[in-house]
Amino acid sequence: MLGRMASSMAKIKNGVTEDKAKEENGEIFLEIVGNSQDGEFDIIIGHLQDIIIDEEFLALQHSFMDEHYHYFEDVEENKLIYTDIQKKYTELVEKHIETQLEMRIPHFDMTKFLQLLESKKSEIPEEIFEILLSFTDFLTFKQMFLDYKADKEGLVPDLGGLIISSPFDASR
Amino acid sequence: MGLLSILKKMKQKEKDVRLLMLGLDNAGKTTILKKFIGEDITTISPTFGFNIKTVEHKGLKLNIWDVGGQKSLRSYWRNYFESTDGLIWVVDSADSRRLEDCKKELHSLLKEERLASATLLVFANKQDLPGALSGVEIMKALGLEHIKTHHWQIQACSAVTGENLLDGINWMTTDISSRIFTMD
Repeated sequence: MLGRMASSMAKIKNGVTEDKAKEENGEIFLEIVGNSQDGEFDIIIGHLQDIIIDEEFLALQHSFMDEHYHYFEDVEENKLIYTDIQKKYTELVEKHIETQLEMRIPHFDMTKFLQLLESKKSEIPEEIFEILLSFTDFLTFKQMFLDYKADKEGLVPDLGGLIISSPFDASR
Repeated sequence: MGLLSILKKMKQKEKDVRLLMLGLDNAGKTTILKKFIGEDITTISPTFGFNIKTVEHKGLKLNIWDVGGQKSLRSYWRNYFESTDGLIWVVDSADSRRLEDCKKELHSLLKEERLASATLLVFANKQDLPGALSGVEIMKALGLEHIKTHHWQIQACSAVTGENLLDGINWMTTDISSRIFTMD
C-alpha cells in the first residue's frame, strides 16, 4: 500500500511540474489547453493526499481523540453521543482539508472542486478515496476511538467484538 | 454538503443499502436485527443508543441501523435519517393500547424530507403472542392504506421465531434495488 501510494505521489509531483511550466505562459494559455482542468484536478488531489498524511493532520486527529475518547466503551451498543462526536469530527476534517487546500492552492474554490469531483470520480486514486471515506464510516470511527482508548489505558483491544459485528471486514 | 459527504454519496451508489429501523420502545427492533443475522436473542435489553449490523444479502450490503425507541430518545431519530434507503417500522402487534401513539410517530416520520425517497416496510411483530392483531388489523390501525408518498408493505412476523422476517427484508431490498437501478 505504501509503495503504491509513493508511486502515485510521484506521478502527481510530475503533474505539478508540468502545470508550473504551463502557468509561466499565463492564464489564457491554460484556458485554451483542453485538458487544463485535468491538470488542475490532479494538482488538487496531490495536495489532498499530502494534507491527509501530514503531521499537522495527525496532530489534529490526536487532540480530537484525546478530548472525546472517554465517552467510548468497547460494547456492542453505541451511545447516541457517538453520532454527535462523529459529526463534529467530520466537520473538523472537512474544515481542515478546505483550509489547507486554500493555503496551498491560489484561488482555490471548494464548490468548483466538489463539482469536478462528481464528474471525475474514476480518476480519484483508490487509496485516497478509501482514506477519505474512512473518515465518514461509523464503525471505523468507533474502532479508532477504542484503539486510542486501549492504547491510552494500556489495554489490549478486544477485536472479538469487531469481527462479530462487522464480518466483512474480518480480514483487516 | 462537504467534501466527505459527497464522496460518501458517490460510493453509496454502488451496493451499499442503508436501512433504518425505528418504532416505539419494546416493539422488538433489536430482536429482529439479531434474529435476522443469526445472533443469540435470549438476553436483549432495552436499547438506549443504537446498534448497527452489516450483512450481505442478495448481492447487496445492508447496513441496518437500529435506534432506541423510548420517548426520550425519539428526538434523536432525526440524526439517523440521512441517506436512508429503507425505513423499517416495527410494531408490537399485541400492544393495542399504544397503537395511536405508534401511528402518530410513523406519520410524522413520513413527512420528513430526508426520508422522502425511502421505501417503508412495516413489521407487525410479535405474532407469536396471544392477542396479537393481524397484519391487516395493524395496517388499518396505522392508516397505511392512505400512504401515497412512499412505497410500503406490511409484513406480519415474529422476531422470536424468525417467521416472515426474511420475506419482509426480501420485499424491501427488491423494491430498493429496482429504484436504484432505474435511476442509474
